Amino acid sequence: MEDFFTNNSVCVSVEAPAENLVQEIAYDGQEVFQLPLTLSENLTKQAHKIDWIIREDDENDDDTLSATVTTEKDVEEESKKADFQTSSWPWDSVRNKLRSALTEVCVLADVLVIAKDKRYMVLDPVQQEQPDQRQLAQLFSKKRGLTAAANILLHGAERLKISQSDTARAKSNQDFHLELLRLRQSWTLKKIGNSILGDLSYKSAGSRFYQTGIFEVTKSEDPNLGLSTETTSENQPKQSMIKVTIPTELGGTSYIQVTIQKDQDILCTTNLNLLHTSLIHSDHSLDANPWTSKLEAAQNVLFCKELFSQLAREAVQLQAAIPHMVVGNQITASLFPGIQLSIHFQSSYSAGVNKRQLVSNSTSLVAKVDHNYILEHSLHQLLRQVHLNNVGQPVPHPSSAPLGPTKRRRLAGPHAYDRDELLLMTKNESILEQIIRQGQHVVLRLRTMFVIDSIAREIRDPLIISHWNVLNSPTLSCVKIIIMTHGYDTLQRTALVVHVGEKTLKCVCRDGRVLHMSYEPQELRDLILCQISQHQINAVQSLARFLGWHVASSSAHLGLGPVEPLGNASSCILSSPSGNRILSVRCGPQAAQPQVYLSTYPRHDTVKNKVLKDMRWEQLNTRYEEVRLEKIEGRNFLSRMELLMASLTCRPPMSWE
Amino acid sequence: MGVIVLQLFAVPEGKSGPQVIDILTKRVTSLGGVLSGSFMVDCETYTSVASLGATRSVHLLHNSETPASVFALLEAASGNKTVALVADNLFDLLMLKLSNFYQAKKQTKIESRGPRFEAGDFLVKLGSVTMGPAFKGILVEVEYQACSLPAACWDLIREFMQGFLGGCVPSTPPQYIQNRFGDMLGPIDGINQYLEQFNAFRKTTGIR
Repeated sequence: MEDFFTNNSVCVSVEAPAENLVQEIAYDGQEVFQLPLTLSENLTKQAHKIDWIIREDDENDDDTLSATVTTEKDVEEESKKADFQTSSWPWDSVRNKLRSALTEVCVLADVLVIAKDKRYMVLDPVQQEQPDQRQLAQLFSKKRGLTAAANILLHGAERLKISQSDTARAKSNQDFHLELLRLRQSWTLKKIGNSILGDLSYKSAGSRFYQTGIFEVTKSEDPNLGLSTETTSENQPKQSMIKVTIPTELGGTSYIQVTIQKDQDILCTTNLNLLHTSLIHSDHSLDANPWTSKLEAAQNVLFCKELFSQLAREAVQLQAAIPHMVVGNQITASLFPGIQLSIHFQSSYSAGVNKRQLVSNSTSLVAKVDHNYILEHSLHQLLRQVHLNNVGQPVPHPSSAPLGPTKRRRLAGPHAYDRDELLLMTKNESILEQIIRQGQHVVLRLRTMFVIDSIAREIRDPLIISHWNVLNSPTLSCVKIIIMTHGYDTLQRTALVVHVGEKTLKCVCRDGRVLHMSYEPQELRDLILCQISQHQINAVQSLARFLGWHVASSSAHLGLGPVEPLGNASSCILSSPSGNRILSVRCGPQAAQPQVYLSTYPRHDTVKNKVLKDMRWEQLNTRYEEVRLEKIEGRNFLSRMELLMASLTCRPPMSWE
Repeated sequence: MGVIVLQLFAVPEGKSGPQVIDILTKRVTSLGGVLSGSFMVDCETYTSVASLGATRSVHLLHNSETPASVFALLEAASGNKTVALVADNLFDLLMLKLSNFYQAKKQTKIESRGPRFEAGDFLVKLGSVTMGPAFKGILVEVEYQACSLPAACWDLIREFMQGFLGGCVPSTPPQYIQNRFGDMLGPIDGINQYLEQFNAFRKTTGIR
């Protein structure tokens, strides 16, 4: 057993070296040694190292080997015993171990001395066994390791290369997302599957049009990035990473054109396919993004389509006196007999074809397209109003009231509206009706303007002044017409107010008369002419009073004399302050100038005879003689009258003394 | 927006309500009236519960001329005037919610119903007043729509009314109109007159 132990397991307990460990080296090179352990310290250190139970078993291994194999209980007992034994003299095993260690060290010392002598023992190196030459495996493993490392490095290098050298591509990716963000700020986008779709219809605003305005956003292939920063001329659109695809039926641009025409122009304009200039050009420099104009144009096309389809539907449904015509892209409605309102839906979709037609049509006669921008704008507004009504609910006051009724309906209860008023509230007017009314008002207003202006041009004697109200509605305007004579405006002014409606005119005169006239311009003209003639007579009367003459009689509607073709003549009779002159003035609406007749007294042709002896017969007036007003100096009728009256005012003749 | 005058037409002996209406209809049509539908004015009364103190009644009137409105008249407490309210139709539902405070008296629901005529600016309504199944009398309403001031048009209205009602129309206006002779009248004044007449009908038993 001991042989076994000494050959195969060398129990060498190595003591601490004689040299003490350097604890620290002072700055001057002096070494401070760790003090060696004192005996007690050393002993405690060694004691800690000893594993009491195992060593005890190993010691008793030779003797009690069988006993340990047989029963654990014995071992336990043994260990207990050992414990018990060791407790009585704990240092026994220590002493044994130390003795065996001493023996070993002595033997080692002896061996070393003998080997050093080289007479009886020599130390020879032992040939180590060469391990297996697995070069191939080593090579492979090295190679694998190297390739792994190389891959990592290459990967990193690639990434660096990508990020550094391909900055343009990274920017382009960034650009795409930035542009997408900007697009999303103005338009609604959704991601469905792999594609990004957007909606340019007015559905969210309340439109109920069947056509959806879905457009697709994709990354544009192969944009000319290099050119984008350098060549941004005005005509070239800016390059963009985003390609917007709009549905084909919303392509191009379109607009609604409203014109008011008289009958004879109809044949010319139906074949017209002129493009408005705004359809062709597009101001790219203003657009920050090239897709803005495209999307807005498509949205406009959709809006115009909806508007036109709504109008066409209403045109077919409505029953009018003269039925509305819907032909292709044109709706024709008649406003007045002989005057039509036509609404075109112009689209530039097939631009190539139209351009050719444009060339051929420009040589034809009707080249001017008469847009009525106001009515077009009105149409847009009306459709937007319909959208708003679809979406918006008026908020009730108080908030606990039901949500459905409009404000007017809610007020109907407390204000005790009767059935007619309630019925009026329920009537909904279609867009076409409203635009027809507005068109009628436009025509009527233009006519009224024309009539007033033409009268003002023709007739200079009393001045015709017209003041149009600034505030008016699409279906009602007001004009105040003042008739006055130049220089005598404080003397007499005749004013009348004309309310221009859609099909009728309402005229309110100063004396309180209210006249309703139809849309025929002649009626207004006649009215103004009548007013002018009455103005002249009234002015003469005021002038007479001013000059001291007496108004003997006056009549606004004279029943004497020739029948006037238009209206009634008016007249007045003035007598001078001294009474010896009588002036008779008669003015008719058709006459250019009033007629003035003069009679004086005493009669020079009275023959004194036996019958007429009395003086008073001489005081009868002579026949009336016409005064030639055009020979009298004066700017206008009133000034001539003034001159006449002033010259006729003289002291009474002395002939009757 | 016109002057409304109510006139009670006494039912002559031996004639029934519908007969009288027929007679009056003939007279009105001969004056140029055109039949344009029918009308109805009804009145419901709610009284307050005892726990609120002195009992006051609220009269709820509906008029087919103003179908979107409900007229609520709160009876005068001693010394105060009748409080009138013109409200939307939802006021009926509000009264139902107030059933703990104001209870309906169904038995006294009274209404005036009949044909409606238009003669130029005049609106003539010949109403037979019924309370439940019982016929109470004839109430004629004449409205002159062109004017809201009784002082300006009382004579015209009186003349028109005498034209088909005969001598029962007094030469002096009814007390209600007299009190407001110089004021602008509205739909609520017609309703007030109806309430007065209905109250008088309620008090009398039999035909008035």
